[in-house]
Amino acid sequence: MTKTTRYFVSGAAAVLVTGLCTGLVAYYGGIPTGAFNAATGPADLAYLPADSAVVAHANVSDVMGSDLRQKLRAVMPEGPESQGQAEFKEQTGIDIEQDIEAVTSAVVSGEQAGPHKMGGLLVLRGRFDAGRLEALAREKGADAENYKGARLVTMTRKADADAEGDAAQPGDHVSFTGAAAFAEPGVIILGNVEQVRAAIDRKASGQNLTTNADMMNRISAVDNGANAWAVGRFDAIAAQAKLPEQVAAQIPPVAWFSAAGHINGGVTATLRAEARDDEAAKNLRDVLNGFMALAKLQAGSNPEIQAIAQSLALGGSGKNVEVSFTLPSELFDLLIAKHQAEKNKAL
Amino acid sequence: MATHTPPSFLSASLKVFDLSLGQMLWSRRTVFMALVVGGPVLIALAVRLAESLGGDLKMNGRTIVGDAVFGMMVWWFFVRFTVPVLAVFYGTALMADEVEDKTLTYLFSRPIPRGSVLVGKYLAYLVCTGLVVLPSVMLVYFLMVPGRGGSVAATFPLLLADLGILFLGLAVYGAVFAFVGAYFKRPVLLGLVFLFGWEPMVLVVPGYMKKFTVAHYLQALVPHTMPADEGAASLLAGLFREAPSMTTSVGMLVVICAGFLWIATRTVERREYVLEQLGRIMMRPRPRGPAGEPTSGRDLRRIVSGGAS
Repeated sequence: MTKTTRYFVSGAAAVLVTGLCTGLVAYYGGIPTGAFNAATGPADLAYLPADSAVVAHANVSDVMGSDLRQKLRAVMPEGPESQGQAEFKEQTGIDIEQDIEAVTSAVVSGEQAGPHKMGGLLVLRGRFDAGRLEALAREKGADAENYKGARLVTMTRKADADAEGDAAQPGDHVSFTGAAAFAEPGVIILGNVEQVRAAIDRKASGQNLTTNADMMNRISAVDNGANAWAVGRFDAIAAQAKLPEQVAAQIPPVAWFSAAGHINGGVTATLRAEARDDEAAKNLRDVLNGFMALAKLQAGSNPEIQAIAQSLALGGSGKNVEVSFTLPSELFDLLIAKHQAEKNKAL
Repeated sequence: MATHTPPSFLSASLKVFDLSLGQMLWSRRTVFMALVVGGPVLIALAVRLAESLGGDLKMNGRTIVGDAVFGMMVWWFFVRFTVPVLAVFYGTALMADEVEDKTLTYLFSRPIPRGSVLVGKYLAYLVCTGLVVLPSVMLVYFLMVPGRGGSVAATFPLLLADLGILFLGLAVYGAVFAFVGAYFKRPVLLGLVFLFGWEPMVLVVPGYMKKFTVAHYLQALVPHTMPADEGAASLLAGLFREAPSMTTSVGMLVVICAGFLWIATRTVERREYVLEQLGRIMMRPRPRGPAGEPTSGRDLRRIVSGGAS
């Protein structure tokens, strides 16, 4: 081997070895990549339990202020929904379109979630008149107390247990104590009273969702540029769903799922599933690929469906399977124009 | 009087490897190889520069993150193009170059097994292409993945899988084309027809024919989603795709590699390569002795001295 050949071989091997070593160090956590980044996700994740089964977030002010929302609002007729909104505003002082900035929620599974072993916690961030809301709740029979610096409004409701309840038998009377806590200015936590108290404790102690590295990694992947997203453990949901054996056997072996969307002039959304292993992911990708090919073939000459079908894209590597689609603002313009034309024709 | 024992098959192969590696690296083909593997690196560099200047890489109106771009580059540039094309040009040339340059006889007149010439050259091909393709993949990975929404920690196992698959691809396609080069008259043409005619055509047709391709098994191992084209062929492929399991794929690729390398070695051992004055390659079965045994090195030396037509 000549000297030049030896130099070339050594150089190429050095590039390979350096890359492999860097990757290995990063893989085993030697490089704290998150150390220089801003905190992941919304601040309200600090109220959610570390073992949440599903976490979802929506930047309501972004969605409500989007071009798409404005377009739809201009063509949608005034219906009972807007009447309901007006009544709600009159009673609470909250204009849903203007005053709620963000909603963050968690689905909690297991013993801590109550008799149904599946419960939820909702954190609203926005502009609220705490005094007015408390007074309204008291009028309806609620109690109020202070809990670790937060004002906690509770209300107990008795109901018949349904057949789905685990702890109670059908026909038994069960009571549910719902609570709303004004945890900090502009933040309301809603849920059952134990969960709401625990949420206040979590924020103070730091033992909250932000310590769950698995969930936070996935949130960091979807939070980038999306104004609504959800991340969850599929197994936790499937375990509580009590599906028939035949149905459960047909469900692909998915460990995690996530959905993220960005709404502005149009809608861009990505659905992601994390299979248990690479083989399962590959099979799932093949199935989806077949469906998408079929959808594209079926789209035919219908421009609306064709636009959606053509924007469908399958992606993902390793255990991840990703389906994304874009509904461009032009498509909504087309649909709105069609709707208006039909409306004019009817008149 | 000291007697020289002929070197073993392995030792002879390593000697041929040592001799061939330098020749292979500094041949005219290296310019072609540099262009083929340098292209993705330059593209990755351009994307990185564009991003640092505020650009954004979008597909279907959606910004695509680093690992997705890397996955697409692995598919388009390396799995579908670089690996098979380099294998065609290098693999078919393992024996054909020596015939064309009329230097094969010098190798065959050495007291080494004829098959070791092919095996040594095949090893040199693997090291030569591996040391060019794999660092190129590594550079593309580190240019595309970190800082573009991708994480090195999360995707490093996929990079290892990619490197392993590409090396396996070079080995398998190399073995197939080594046989093509050793057996057929116009190996490059045949190789290109196999790569760009037979394989893509058979992969989109439902049925068992795709099992007679390397791509069927190799592409099933790639951990990234196969990018879809808009054409009807891609839609058909999407509908009728049936990927073998990872174990089957790896097993079949190993069998294909070992099988073709063995056949290629046997071909080189049994075939007589006749060099014509005009440089045309004529190949015919090697003459056999009365008991059907292959002719000895003496016959080869006769070829060198011009004793054979």
